[in-house]
Amino acid sequence: MAPDQTAATTEPVTPTPPVITARVPETTPVEASAVDQAPVVFDVRDLSVYYGSFRAVRDASLQIRQHEITAFIGPSGCGKSTMLRCFDRMNDLIDGCRVEGTLEYHGVDLYDPRIDPVEVRKRIGMVFQKPNPFPKSIYDNIAFGPKLAGQKGNLDDVVESALRRAALWDEVKDRLKKSAMGLSGGQQQRLCIARAIAVEPEVVLMDEPCSALDPIATSRIEDLMQELKADYTIVIVTHNMQQAARVSDRTAFFTTEVNETSDTRTGVLVEFEVTDKVFSNPSDERTENYVTGRFG
Amino acid sequence: MSPADSADQPGPLRATFGAELEQLRLQIEVMGVMVDQNLERMRQVLETGDPGLAEHALAADDDIDAMNVSLTERCYDVLARENPVASDLRLVVSVVRVLSELERVGDLCLRVVKASLDHDLLIKSPRAFDILAVMAAEATDLFRAALKAWGTADLELAAELAAGSRSIDLAYAQLVETLVALRGPDAAAVAMRSLVAGQALERIADHAAILGSRLRYLITGDPGHLAAEVRR
Repeated sequence: MAPDQTAATTEPVTPTPPVITARVPETTPVEASAVDQAPVVFDVRDLSVYYGSFRAVRDASLQIRQHEITAFIGPSGCGKSTMLRCFDRMNDLIDGCRVEGTLEYHGVDLYDPRIDPVEVRKRIGMVFQKPNPFPKSIYDNIAFGPKLAGQKGNLDDVVESALRRAALWDEVKDRLKKSAMGLSGGQQQRLCIARAIAVEPEVVLMDEPCSALDPIATSRIEDLMQELKADYTIVIVTHNMQQAARVSDRTAFFTTEVNETSDTRTGVLVEFEVTDKVFSNPSDERTENYVTGRFG
Repeated sequence: MSPADSADQPGPLRATFGAELEQLRLQIEVMGVMVDQNLERMRQVLETGDPGLAEHALAADDDIDAMNVSLTERCYDVLARENPVASDLRLVVSVVRVLSELERVGDLCLRVVKASLDHDLLIKSPRAFDILAVMAAEATDLFRAALKAWGTADLELAAELAAGSRSIDLAYAQLVETLVALRGPDAAAVAMRSLVAGQALERIADHAAILGSRLRYLITGDPGHLAAEVRR
């Protein structure tokens, strides 16, 4: 998308070839296996995450595939956000946080000591629950990342392209120099998405991106996600199961297990499947109970 | 709904929703029993040609139709308000489909009742008449088995029903053979009425098989059981 204008000014940061796999829409087993063939971006095997001696997530294994939207659902404390933050090594910022098992990004061990977390975060963008624009102009919010990444000169094209891809351009093109704080919550969140994609990441992580938004703003973001997945791989954590059902290609359901030795809880991955299956006929009874919402 | 709380205190949630699903399940059984009663009336009208009982059956079918409408509306209401998923969604969708099966069996039952009012004509071929009685008994039994399977969520019985009934097909073939061989002044009239009744009975058996398929889908969630359709 939009390589015409940006190619002149932008050095593509991600080396990934622009393979766009056709999304096979429906449910028969044959088609489901066609979806399986999308290349793996993140390969997670037996991943455990500890905060000090407390184990937050235990032995999770799953694959995030290119140009798909993967949703993480589950009750509070099930480790879905912790898991998401492993993908851009945000957990490194927390004292005492430790990861066991393997997490590979295109076959490269993301937790190899030689890997620079800053480099990781350039390729993997994050959008948070509460929109967090900088207290600067709309233009500067978008231009900030590319500038930091060393882009020089006129960034107008980069800003326009990012805002267009985030479906915000038409609403803000006449007030780019005004403060981003004057935007509505939904617009702010789309600005944050524009900011995340302005540095040309490969993956966009979203941690409950709509939980502070009204239903219309939520629908805008959901529509936007469908457009963005042609260019990016998206992982979303959501408390809204209907949202996971609406937007995602695959769903991972996490839950909590009470530890035998203490009364702490550890997050476990119960089921990771094509979304249609999770919401029509899940394999695990715990998933069924959670998605129907009829048993806690 | 608060997932955090639900994790703290295990137990049932969404009680109203759960109760409504249970009601739908039960109301299907009630409607099934109403259809079953009409099948019993059908057998008696077939045997005796009793016009009073036929009237009774017609009135009962109006109740069945009304129940179909009101339960369908209730299902749509649940879909709109509660957004059921997984087994809950399968239940609501299955109820909608089973409703129309029951309604259809009710209609076919009336078709037999109406044909049976020409009792004097039907008994002119004693052999065809006997075959119709046998078919009516078997169709009623199959339907009753389908109700039982639904009421007890009996997967084995559902699979058995879905396989269809070989004997009712044979009986139907014998009926056709008999009717084709009829001779005499009333032959055409007897054959036409008997054939209408026989076809309807054969279709009722088919619908019992479809009910078996619907139940298999409800229990297993296997989309393969959605494909099952009437053979003729």
